[in-house]
Amino acid sequence: MNRYVVGGAGVASVVVLISLTWLFGSFSWALATTVLIAAVGGGFFAYRQFTQKFAAQPSTNSSQPEDAAPRRAASPVDTSNSKDSQSLARKMLDQGRYTLLLRPQIAESIPSKLLNRAQTMLDDEMTLVPGGETIVGKGANDSPDSPDHLDGRVVQVEGFYLDRYQVTNEQFYRFVQNGGYEQISLWDPEIVPALLDFVDSTGEPGPLFWKNGKYLSGQAQLPVVGVCWYEAAAYARWVGKRLPTDPEWVKSGSWPVPLPGARPIQRKYPWGEAFDLNKCNLWGSGHGSTVPVEKYDEGMSVGGANQLIGNVWEWTSSRFGAWQSSSSPLVLDASMRSIRGGAFDTYFETQATCDFQSGDKAVARKRNIGFRCAIGICDLIPDQSMQAEEHPAQVETQELAEVAQ
Amino acid sequence: MTKRVLVAMDSYRLAECAVPLACYICGSDNNYNTELCRHCAAPLALSHQARTQGVRPQMVAVLGTAAAGKTVYLGMLLDMLTRQNSRVQVLARGAFSITLQQRTMMALSNCRFPEKTPNEPDRWNWVHCQAKINSKKNPMELIMPDMAGEAILEEIDHPNAYPAIHSFLEKCSGVILLADTDRIERGGAEQNYFLMKLITYLSEQDSRKTRGKTTRPVAIVFSKADRCEPCFDNPELYAREKTPNLWQQVQQRFTNYGFFASGVAGSVGFREELGEGTSAVPLRIEPRGIVEPFEWLVRKV
Repeated sequence: MNRYVVGGAGVASVVVLISLTWLFGSFSWALATTVLIAAVGGGFFAYRQFTQKFAAQPSTNSSQPEDAAPRRAASPVDTSNSKDSQSLARKMLDQGRYTLLLRPQIAESIPSKLLNRAQTMLDDEMTLVPGGETIVGKGANDSPDSPDHLDGRVVQVEGFYLDRYQVTNEQFYRFVQNGGYEQISLWDPEIVPALLDFVDSTGEPGPLFWKNGKYLSGQAQLPVVGVCWYEAAAYARWVGKRLPTDPEWVKSGSWPVPLPGARPIQRKYPWGEAFDLNKCNLWGSGHGSTVPVEKYDEGMSVGGANQLIGNVWEWTSSRFGAWQSSSSPLVLDASMRSIRGGAFDTYFETQATCDFQSGDKAVARKRNIGFRCAIGICDLIPDQSMQAEEHPAQVETQELAEVAQ
Repeated sequence: MTKRVLVAMDSYRLAECAVPLACYICGSDNNYNTELCRHCAAPLALSHQARTQGVRPQMVAVLGTAAAGKTVYLGMLLDMLTRQNSRVQVLARGAFSITLQQRTMMALSNCRFPEKTPNEPDRWNWVHCQAKINSKKNPMELIMPDMAGEAILEEIDHPNAYPAIHSFLEKCSGVILLADTDRIERGGAEQNYFLMKLITYLSEQDSRKTRGKTTRPVAIVFSKADRCEPCFDNPELYAREKTPNLWQQVQQRFTNYGFFASGVAGSVGFREELGEGTSAVPLRIEPRGIVEPFEWLVRKV
């Protein structure tokens, strides 16, 4: 390489010498100038070579080249992995599966920025229901309107998060599009042989009233219906949640007030004791069908759960009949699951209260049964903001330390 | 001095009652102040109302086997039509017309089906109402009794065993025929035979015929269809596939007919009653397809 450089420099010098002779009209002056230029250029070249050689020395002198090589090789792989996991986390956030990221096992490996976004989504889309006692069944006042087969019992409920809205067609579509009906691990083992039956009106996997594997136009914000209990449970697993239990559902709607030494006082409807047709979608509202899940926000519960009463019945994880009166029990199909809240076609207001329970077969895919999901507080990482409220002294200390730095 | 006072003679008072009152259903004469017809046991209030209002009420029969859901259907229908201002609006005439609605609704709201209608005609509930239809200028007066299924069957097998049923079916302008979908789904042939008998009976009774076919409108309603979703999708196809005999009979004997599906209970459980076997319990009330057959029939009448 040096040979080519020297040769090139020689040719360049002759060309420069001829040009300067023609320019100055004197060979001696031209020669002197050319020598000067060559000396300056050579010096600069030599200096550059020296500095490059000096800079390369440490790597060549490394005592452990074998270690260095893998480290260099591992570095880009690590970067791509973290990028993959971040993009996966972002995808999960876009799909509404934020609770998966907030699981203690997963949260450790997620950047704090994404974790904060997941926490914000949790706060926006779910309501926190504190733990405590609730009466499940007939209620404390033994109203004559209540059916004979129900019996009020006091049940202890742990704190949990409940979806503010019923699961919509749009949300369920993400599950279908993501191959939810093909992922066997999401489904209860006993229903796997029947998975092929869970198709829409055109034979594609999906809720009963969809067409070609998609909800009908303009129904994105309507609650998903035509899904059986197993489909609801599979969706809940996919988003990292579960169906609420019967007592949890009652607690979120009736919002009991604990009284020492007495049964808790709880509401008949999420908005209070008196029925109000303007706060829910029942038969009397006159819609005759489901409405978007954001409607009737005046009827939301104390915690901020919308449409617990009306629009569609909601599947719970409990079996129907668990809270039956022992004096007048029903003979029920073993697969019946509890549904709560009433629907757009529920005729009697007394059958759409927080304490009224109905049931249907777990495989029933009806036009008036949908669901919402829940997750226990203990299943998620502790909320940073709540922790801050709980330990203000620690936060102050931490802030002072940061300022001092 | 004796005071001069006017005292009405009892015989004069009784003279008013001596004028016979013809029963609106069977036409037999009754005393003026009698409550039920001595011949057919229909309430004479129907005759009083018909006479005072000067309008001839139309009669609509709701027929079906025992436990096919006649009481629930009628009670639910009346409650829905009085509760909501839809295309058909109903106004009860006389307090007795509300009894059926009241009993049915009280039972259903408490997750129970109403008690079985007794066989004795004097214990049946009759409904006299005014039906107002958006498309029609004048309201219609309607009479609809809730008759016991066993009594209907008895009358078909032995005509004139129940004069009220005989006279009513002879005069009625439209029929709602209930077929128990639950029993059809369980594969029982009883519904088929009963309905075939009833259709034959109705077509023989009716004098208004064109080319051998009865022109009286008949709505065939598959009741309790909430237990069979395809029935709601296409009731006529359901009839053709599941009750071919009934389908043939209707085709050959009536010119004015329609197939419908209806359901009241969203889901049903069962309870063991001591000494009475198993009884059904409605787990929630979700009326569906109740008004449509009635609306169709009223437009045809």
